[in-house]
Amino acid sequence: MTTTLTDRYVWAVQRSLPEKQRADIDQELRGAIADTVDSKIDSGTDPVAAEREVIVELGDPYRLAAGYADRPLHLVGPKVFPDYIRLLKVLYAIVLPIVFVAILLGQLLGQPDSFWGAFGSTIGAIITVAVHLGFWTTLVFALIERSPEYKATAWNPDTLPQLPTRGAIKLSDAVASGVWFVSIVGGLIWAQYFSLFRDADGEVVPVFDPALGVWLAYFLVLAAFELGFRVLLYRERRWTFPLAAVNLVGHLAFAIPFLWLLLNSSLMNPEFLARADIAPLFERDGVVTIIVLIVALAGSAGSAIEGFVKAGRAAREPR
Amino acid sequence: MDDIESGHLQELRRGTVVLACLLILRTADYGYALLERLAAAGLAVDGNTLYPLLRRLEKQELVTSEWNTDEARPRKFYRTSRAGETLAARLMQDWSDLTRTLTDIDKGNTK
Repeated sequence: MTTTLTDRYVWAVQRSLPEKQRADIDQELRGAIADTVDSKIDSGTDPVAAEREVIVELGDPYRLAAGYADRPLHLVGPKVFPDYIRLLKVLYAIVLPIVFVAILLGQLLGQPDSFWGAFGSTIGAIITVAVHLGFWTTLVFALIERSPEYKATAWNPDTLPQLPTRGAIKLSDAVASGVWFVSIVGGLIWAQYFSLFRDADGEVVPVFDPALGVWLAYFLVLAAFELGFRVLLYRERRWTFPLAAVNLVGHLAFAIPFLWLLLNSSLMNPEFLARADIAPLFERDGVVTIIVLIVALAGSAGSAIEGFVKAGRAAREPR
Repeated sequence: MDDIESGHLQELRRGTVVLACLLILRTADYGYALLERLAAAGLAVDGNTLYPLLRRLEKQELVTSEWNTDEARPRKFYRTSRAGETLAARLMQDWSDLTRTLTDIDKGNTK
């Protein structure tokens, strides 16, 4: 007995059905296909073509079996999708930055061969973590989707976010400045007193040029000034023109000496650059110098202009 | 007929297939014959929709089934159950209510 197209189709359908449904559906589906083929032959279609047509009309066997077994044709459906996407966002926003800092710190404390090597393997690890988070979350939600007991969390209007107030200073801005300040101070202390490398005598090789001396203190004071300014701004709740002017002066006080030091190659410790084998990047026309130049200029100019734009906007709105 | 129109028509007709099946199966019949009776009545349904639907109705105990092996080709006959009959009556009631409501809205008879 030769295998017909119908045999192969019915087998493909019942293969993905629960055991106890198989025999019944097998027989009924065969009957239905045969009935449809007969009626096509009666109306003048060639038997082989008729069988093929009927099976094409019934469509993908997996889809048909899903219909019989009442099984969803999606991994994560509309019932759980809002919870799913919310959880993914929270996980990525919280876990990825923490893991990034933790792995990078671990790499750096392990006295790596070069900074870029450590940075590269951190990026690799982050991508792995992101893929795992996505995969396991999706797997759990695909299982939840298939469990009939699951009820989607009742949505509560209290969870709606507040409208952003135009021109108002958010607490998060002030907090971000505080975090920024602490990381700059911490980073500088680490760079100068711990660093990545030690010389032959076991002495620390600082990242920044030790000849900077007073300049380092100057930048620390500026960072403290920036923090104080942000706190003041938060208390005022909105930008004003005097605050924007102070902000401009602050950025000039930072950008002019910083760019001068950068372009004179007196920012980094030459010994450190040699050890890390990244000296060419920090030459006057090196890639890092140019990137830092552009970022510092654009950042300072952008922030200074932002102050005036927001002050102007706030002045036009009633308090 | 453009896609939007056919999409809305399909949406409107979706629930009527169940009702039509319950009404027709007051006299027992098998899948393919039901498909033809529906088509003859002007309610064309694809086999890959109807056959799984019959299984679902059977599982919900709205239809009962019985294999008929008298003929060369064994066939599974479905018949509307008592519960199916009750549901069909309820759905018919809703259908005529909806018709009246929509007619009223169409003629502007709503307050």
